Amino acid sequence: MPSFAASNHLLSPALAHSLTSRRRLPSSSSSQNPKFVPSVKCSLPSSNPTSDSPKTLNPTTIFTALKKPFSATAVAAASFSILLHFSPIELSGGGANPPGSGGGGGGWGDGGGGDSGGGGFWQRIFSAAPAIADEPQNQEWDSHGLPANIVVQLNKLSGFKKYKLSEILFFDRRRWATVGTEDSFFEMVSLRPGGVYTKAQLQKELETLATCGMFEKVDMEGKTNPDGTLNLTISFTESTWQSADKFRCINVGLMAQSKPIEMDPDMTDKEKLEYYRSQEKDYRRRIDRARPCLLPGPVHREILQMLREQGKVSARLLQKIRDRVQKWYHDEGYACAQVVNFGNLNTKEVVCEVVEGDITQLMIQFQDKLGNVVEGNTQLPVIRRELPKQLRQGHVFNIEAGKQALRNINSLALFSNIEVNPRPDEKNEGGIIVEIKLKELEQKQAEVSTEWSIVPGRGGRPTLASLQPGGTVSFEHKNIKGLNRSILGSVTTSNFLNPQDDLAFKLEYVHPYLDGVYNPRNRTLRASCFNSRKLSPVFTGGPGVDEVPPIWVDRAGLKANITENFTRQSKFTYGLVMEEVTTRDEGSHISPTGQRVLPSGGISADGPPTTLSGTGIDRMAFLQANITRDNTKYVNGAIVGQRNVFQLDQGLGIGSKFPFFNRHQLTCTGFFQLKQVEEGAGKPPPPVLVLHGHYGGCIGDLPSYDAFTLGGPYSVRGYNMGELGAARNILELAAELRVPVRNTHMYVFAEHGNDLGSSKLVKGNPTEVYRRLGHGSSYGFGLKFGLVRAEYAVDHNSGTGSVFLRFGERF
Amino acid sequence: MASQLIREWVGIQQFPAATQTKLLELLGKLKQEDVSTLTILVMGKGGVGKSSTVNSIVGERAVAVSAFQSEGPRPVMVSRTRAGFNLHIIDTPGLIEGGYVNFQTLEIIKRFLLDKTIDVLLYVDRLDTYRVDNLDKQIVKAITDSFGKEIWKRALVVLTHAQLSPPDGLEYEVFFARRSEALLKVVRSGAKIKRQDTWGANIPVVLVENSGRCNKNENEEKILPNGTAWIPNLVKTITDVTLNGSKAIKVDKKLIEGPNPNRKWKEFIPLIFAFQYFFIIKPIQKAIKNDIAREARPAWEMRDTGSPLRKY
Repeated sequence: MPSFAASNHLLSPALAHSLTSRRRLPSSSSSQNPKFVPSVKCSLPSSNPTSDSPKTLNPTTIFTALKKPFSATAVAAASFSILLHFSPIELSGGGANPPGSGGGGGGWGDGGGGDSGGGGFWQRIFSAAPAIADEPQNQEWDSHGLPANIVVQLNKLSGFKKYKLSEILFFDRRRWATVGTEDSFFEMVSLRPGGVYTKAQLQKELETLATCGMFEKVDMEGKTNPDGTLNLTISFTESTWQSADKFRCINVGLMAQSKPIEMDPDMTDKEKLEYYRSQEKDYRRRIDRARPCLLPGPVHREILQMLREQGKVSARLLQKIRDRVQKWYHDEGYACAQVVNFGNLNTKEVVCEVVEGDITQLMIQFQDKLGNVVEGNTQLPVIRRELPKQLRQGHVFNIEAGKQALRNINSLALFSNIEVNPRPDEKNEGGIIVEIKLKELEQKQAEVSTEWSIVPGRGGRPTLASLQPGGTVSFEHKNIKGLNRSILGSVTTSNFLNPQDDLAFKLEYVHPYLDGVYNPRNRTLRASCFNSRKLSPVFTGGPGVDEVPPIWVDRAGLKANITENFTRQSKFTYGLVMEEVTTRDEGSHISPTGQRVLPSGGISADGPPTTLSGTGIDRMAFLQANITRDNTKYVNGAIVGQRNVFQLDQGLGIGSKFPFFNRHQLTCTGFFQLKQVEEGAGKPPPPVLVLHGHYGGCIGDLPSYDAFTLGGPYSVRGYNMGELGAARNILELAAELRVPVRNTHMYVFAEHGNDLGSSKLVKGNPTEVYRRLGHGSSYGFGLKFGLVRAEYAVDHNSGTGSVFLRFGERF
Repeated sequence: MASQLIREWVGIQQFPAATQTKLLELLGKLKQEDVSTLTILVMGKGGVGKSSTVNSIVGERAVAVSAFQSEGPRPVMVSRTRAGFNLHIIDTPGLIEGGYVNFQTLEIIKRFLLDKTIDVLLYVDRLDTYRVDNLDKQIVKAITDSFGKEIWKRALVVLTHAQLSPPDGLEYEVFFARRSEALLKVVRSGAKIKRQDTWGANIPVVLVENSGRCNKNENEEKILPNGTAWIPNLVKTITDVTLNGSKAIKVDKKLIEGPNPNRKWKEFIPLIFAFQYFFIIKPIQKAIKNDIAREARPAWEMRDTGSPLRKY
């Protein structure tokens, strides 16, 4: 047993990573330096530890789902390549790391340790390994110059030659058998068949192996081949310790590594005994001071089982334990966790020392376009509140928390590039500094987009004279005062030459963190000034009715509301709306009543009144509230959960004819999973039953433009918008069964809408005037292709079916 | 309404003497009961003979009759006075247009009737139509919706074109009974008259024959195939209905527009608002809180929920 093992410690090399780290460190000069103490190593959990695929996680794919495909151009223009990457820090001499290989290893060395002497074997294997592997590649090698098929001791080899190893064999002396490359010990050896090594390197390797604590005895001998290469046989005897029946896992992160005191070679036996005793005491203290680690009970028991089955604690067993512990950490996202040592060997208890990756510092950094660190405009609390608690100082770094942080920060829509980077803390060995690097988006943006629309001229043919220049002028001032407040405005018209025809404008001010940026309550104030123009579905004909002259409803006004976000999906919005509603006919003339076509073909203007005031212009102020409870989530791509929305417009009696009303809608949608399925990528989604109910009602003054309409893709499918009627109270019921087919789903549905006999309670009874039934059902089936739904719906009133193509979801 | 100059009922004189006697007798009976004004509303499908019936009662060509189309969608009131008794007959345009009930026409009629009292409703249809359909029901329903169920207590069903030979050798009386029963059934269902309301079954049905080729009896009175002189019979039935004790229908703004739906429950809005706040918004908020509490958190978040493990 090597002398160091006397302390009953086994510092185990981080073998799983040695391969990658070897590949990573390019220069022999730096690697020769034994000062490199790889105290921490952080790599992404990867199923294949030796895989050399770049482990830079590119979460862009995750975020494509979050990004709206048609989001503002300003956002789309920004490069949204958000990288959550865990780049290894570069060693002093390793500046030549190409970026690709840089992601590969993720192993970090720490150049801090000055005690090269006591650094221990396991560090050495680390530092020595890369040198041997990388240096002589692509170089000529020398023939051994000896007769073929003779066994040569290592010290018999020439010091001036570079030997090529064609094969490396392991010989277990205890088992008296050759072990294959699949044996866990193979990882410990940095030599590889086909490599070219000098005698010094081979000796160094042997020394490393001899001192690593895993072997009681290890030897190397070569066998000459006729082609000038060598076959290397490493024969070893595995270290074993007495059996243990207890297992303890401790977090030694941020604790000073135990540094053995130099043992004087000419100590007396008594001194030696004392020395050992003091070491043991030190170790006991160390265990007591260490924090318990996150390793859960089941894994703990599993390891105990392993210990019990084995009897004697062997080096292989320790390796297995280490792999198991590390696997658990990495599977759980603790990417920086690492088993660094096994202590207390030769007692009843095996102590597994883990550096879990405690966060010692959280750094937020802003960068300009060129990557220089700059002072950012955004105030730090704005970013801090988006970070999960688990990413703050004193917690264990978890990659999932990092991803969460990334998602949250991305949802602020303030940054073009976000990186969340853990890196080892040079000052606190075993600590992790979480670096968040942000590139801010341009604060002020203005944009003009134009479009030409070709409108049908005389005879329905597009003519040049009818080309209309249209477009949008918009500006945006984001992140005012660094508090994510913003002002945005836009003006859209389809004809700049005659903008009064259809000028749509919007001016909005958004003020988040209404309760202060430090308050966890998340309320946002929005004030806007808007106008809109919509075709009223109230003035729509029923089946078989010729075209009903359309009524346009223009709304212009002011709106101020406060949104409180409870979760990402559930929120409560309440505010005040003041608006002027103008109803116009096709020719943009204000029309106080709807029109109807007489059977003779003439048009009479004595239809139902369009406004409350009877003048065609209504002004009113009302309170608006909307509460959404949404706990839906995706199970393998199928939406499951519940969504309830209650919306309320409460008139205040302010406005034309003192409108006082209470208009309310309650929507309940349930997505019921019909079968339990295993969750995971690529697994089929479960069949889902969707039940939907929507009640809308109004008490008090009800202008026709606020009446509830029945029919349409979001009301009763298979009918046109408003084809079934416009009523004071409505009830819609729908059921849909979704069955997964390949990676999409098919569905069957049945829907019913009913005016509850309240059509006549709308002034002028537009339902009856335009000969609508007031109720209707439909059923059909459809298939989903990405965003598009293709469905066949049968209108139950007439019994005819038709095929529809729709965008988006019905529910 | 009586303020306008009402013309003398001269048409009565050209009735046969027997008819005149009977009519005057009936008017006297009405006067006895203190009824000095009688307003009759005539409604029905287009082209069934509403205007002709009006003309027949008045005894002159008071309203223009066109065989193919009603002349404009306006109701016409014919007013005649005789010995201090005022008779108003309101002729209305047909209610059917293009296979549907024309609510616009109905609206116009209602507005025309504003502030008038309807004593009797004549619901006119043809006797020689063999079938009743949904449209009949729609009309009855529209009338009921406009004037209320009560109007059918003051109604009589008038069947025109009474001079016909029934098909398939049916006896005239049997045919008449069947036709009237079918029509009354429609009226009862359209007006939602309950089965136990006996008056519903007793809506009188009167036959009318406006044609000039109508058979006449020895007194030169126009008679039906069953021999009754129909004009006195009609007026007698009208008198009976007038005096049957039910209330005349007063058409006022409320009746025309119906109870203003915008006013209904309006005073309860503050209460409803409070209800919504406490019983809808609050429970949803609670449910959201529940959701948050029950949300499946990832393991790493669960494992490390406390404050920092250690300070630096």
